Amino acid sequence: MNVEITDLTRRLGRTQAVAGVTLTAGPGVVGLLGPNGAGKTSLLRMLATVLPPSSGRIRLLGLDPGDHRERRRIRRRLGYLPQHLGYYPGFTVVEFVEYFALLKEMPAAAVPRAVAAAVERVGLGGQARAKLRTLSGGMLRRVGIAQAIVNEPDLILLDEPTAGLDPEQRVAFRALLRDLGGTGTVVVSTHLVEDVGAACTDVALLRQGKLVFRGTPGELTARGEGTDAAGDAPLERGYSAVLASAAQAGTDPAQARP
Amino acid sequence: MSGHDDVDLGRVWVGVAAQVWRRRPGPAERLAGRLLRSAGLARALVTTPSLLLGWVIATVVVLAAGVLATRGTGTPYVALCAPAVAAAGIAYAYGPGIDPAWELSCSMAVSDRLVLLVRALAVFGLNALLGLGASVASGTATAVTFGWLVPMTAVCALALAAATLARSANAGVAAGVAGWVITVLSGRVAAGRMTAAITEAALVVPYLTIAACCAAVALFATRITREAS
Amino acid sequence: MDDDALIAAMAGGDDTALRVLFSRHAPWLAARLRAVLPAADVEDVLQETFLGAWRGAGSYRREGAGGWLWGIARRQAALWLRRRGRPETVLATVEEQVEELPDPIDAALSRVELAGAVETLGPEGSPQRETWRLMYEEDRTVAEVAELMGVPAGTVKSRAHQIRRLLRAALQGGGAQ
Repeated sequence: MNVEITDLTRRLGRTQAVAGVTLTAGPGVVGLLGPNGAGKTSLLRMLATVLPPSSGRIRLLGLDPGDHRERRRIRRRLGYLPQHLGYYPGFTVVEFVEYFALLKEMPAAAVPRAVAAAVERVGLGGQARAKLRTLSGGMLRRVGIAQAIVNEPDLILLDEPTAGLDPEQRVAFRALLRDLGGTGTVVVSTHLVEDVGAACTDVALLRQGKLVFRGTPGELTARGEGTDAAGDAPLERGYSAVLASAAQAGTDPAQARP
Repeated sequence: MSGHDDVDLGRVWVGVAAQVWRRRPGPAERLAGRLLRSAGLARALVTTPSLLLGWVIATVVVLAAGVLATRGTGTPYVALCAPAVAAAGIAYAYGPGIDPAWELSCSMAVSDRLVLLVRALAVFGLNALLGLGASVASGTATAVTFGWLVPMTAVCALALAAATLARSANAGVAAGVAGWVITVLSGRVAAGRMTAAITEAALVVPYLTIAACCAAVALFATRITREAS
Repeated sequence: MDDDALIAAMAGGDDTALRVLFSRHAPWLAARLRAVLPAADVEDVLQETFLGAWRGAGSYRREGAGGWLWGIARRQAALWLRRRGRPETVLATVEEQVEELPDPIDAALSRVELAGAVETLGPEGSPQRETWRLMYEEDRTVAEVAELMGVPAGTVKSRAHQIRRLLRAALQGGGAQ
């Protein structure tokens, strides 16, 4: 198990951004869905060790992020793409990816090859030495993905990775996701339900900080059948159905994964 | 890329690209890497905004102007300006105010606090050296030539504390410069001389105490418990 | 962009030109090297070839990209095999005078090269290939070839002329196919 969280809570002022989430994840791609303000970003930040939990237990890659030595070990094997990633305009694509490869304490000798591989993998081989200020939004997002995967992490956290990508790039990205989910755990937070259906082996749905669904995309689709929930695609209908019943009931008990 | 059956041309290209695209660190970075025993920390150090050539040149220009002004008027402008200049440099060393990839940097194995410490020390050291050079060149009395180093420590620590608390480099600069101006003017009002803030021996302990407190504040402000934004 | 322009761009530091050159020429270079070397070695030699092309782009004199690249590849392959201490080469350098014995690696590579160039003459059984086979592989005279093929001697001579021209172009110019 690469991710094990128990009753995780994060307070934000008076409210709870994340309210008692329990979740485990092994190798594969987990889609994190939910409306804005559901707590997806706060949850990802806690998994990325940039935010400590207010309460609850969290273990990443079998280590405890509360201990600074173990946290450092986790971070070496971690890849994180925040929702809003700024860039250094004067850096080139390669320089940017290399900078973070070094900060992740990759052995210096392995860095050039790893950087080249990551840049090619996200399809930016033709812009490798272009300055970041000359790139489009979609390309910058791909640079962000490249730095997240450069150290071949065991835990990859992507917050809205497809923002700004055109449909063709989104297809390429989903193929990349499937590739990555083979050995490690990838957690993708997205509000685009169709991204989840295509690439994720697992879905977790958050609403107001609580986990209201955990299962496969097929199971989520099934929740929408026979209802008149909103949505153009079966998965969207399942999504709406779960959110609607959660709103009515207060919360649905989270479906535990066996 | 396709190719002959068992020859992986994609892998070959990555090998070629790795050598063609690689960046070879300069001598300063290599030395820093050996001293700090971390290539990442060395790279973070040499990319410090306030250590970039443009900034250093600007600092030299300001201090040179101070030297000329001092020689011309007798008022030790270098000693009066150096702390403020250094404070600005410290504030721009790092921090959420000016680092666009701040949140990502917080998730790195090389801790952002360590990067901040190394950068702040380097900026401080450089400014101290440049200031000393300018100060000696302006030919003022010894007490004035070296006396500003202690207040500079306090002012820099103040700027750092403000920058990390407010998460803004500009706040740091404002606090540092304002703090120093107030100190100099108070010294003038109290003792009748502009240089009182620099030469009063009685102020050394208070300055160092302020420096220590501000350093503690900066340490507190950079703990990871805070919501990133 | 044509090959010469790409290499000129490479000399100016344009790595995207190298990328295009690689996608154009790496496949056939790999195929040719594969005839002489195992796959893993081919990858290493190919990598060194394109790095050599990158570094040496400034000294390219428009002699034809394919031939130029193949020249670099041959040198890299020979270097590679010598470094690896392949038994044939070790034996050769120890037992014979190095200057007198033609480098077996070069010989092997030349055979491959020639075979590839002959392919450009046409499919087996075609007039050009037959003429080649009879005149150069079986070492017959023009008169003999004319009789065997049932064509006038003048036709044989002009075909031989064509063959030489085609082979020269194939060995020097592009190497595709």
